[in-house]
Amino acid sequence: MKKLTIIFRRAPHGTAHGREALDLALLSASFEQEVSLIFVDEGVLHLITEQQPELAGAKDYIATFGALDLYDIETVLVCQSSLERFGLADSELTFSVDRVTSASITAQLQAADEVLVF
Amino acid sequence: MSKFIIQVNGAAYPSSASYNAYHFTKSALESGHEVIRVFFYQDGVFNTNGLNSPASDEFDLTRAWVALSEKYQVDLVNCVSAALRRGIISETEAKESHVSHWNMQAPFTMGGLGELVTGLEVADRLVSF
Repeated sequence: MKKLTIIFRRAPHGTAHGREALDLALLSASFEQEVSLIFVDEGVLHLITEQQPELAGAKDYIATFGALDLYDIETVLVCQSSLERFGLADSELTFSVDRVTSASITAQLQAADEVLVF
Repeated sequence: MSKFIIQVNGAAYPSSASYNAYHFTKSALESGHEVIRVFFYQDGVFNTNGLNSPASDEFDLTRAWVALSEKYQVDLVNCVSAALRRGIISETEAKESHVSHWNMQAPFTMGGLGELVTGLEVADRLVSF
């Protein structure tokens, strides 16, 4: 078992990066790796409620984030300053997240065996 | 000596990511390191299109991967769902879906994301491009 940290740093829907990051996160968790997620930069936009990706011709993979618990993905960190940059309050986010500072993100990266950036 | 698994996320032509991945892989092998496999994900699957036809004075990355695999017996594996979404299809899938053409070049093969995960579990280091 390895500790994988998967970073979402691009906005959803405009590119396939977020979708393919989530596919890898769930698959590696089902292969019993210890998976953590970090949302930074435009990646925090994945967490906004009431998205309608179908209007952009994209599959609604955002709803699948609700299954993270089922896959035992417990560590989900969100960059506090990125949320502030986009003016996002907790009430606007799909699920309760750990807002963390860049120091916590650094610590998480140092503890990981492998880091994959999408 | 280390065991590497290489993940290629960039397309063959418009991005330098896969060119850099190729040179990293080649240098690692020439230096005696082990490369468990090269896994093509996201737009990296475009590396495996046998119809890629660069001009004669341009670097042919698809053929370069093939030659590297022949020399060092490195597994070159596509993520099958990433590939199919992007129109990269093997002879097997073409027949299963009753499609008359296919474009994935041998010795590239189709596999699942599980091949990336099982590979990185035994590798000393995953390197993504």
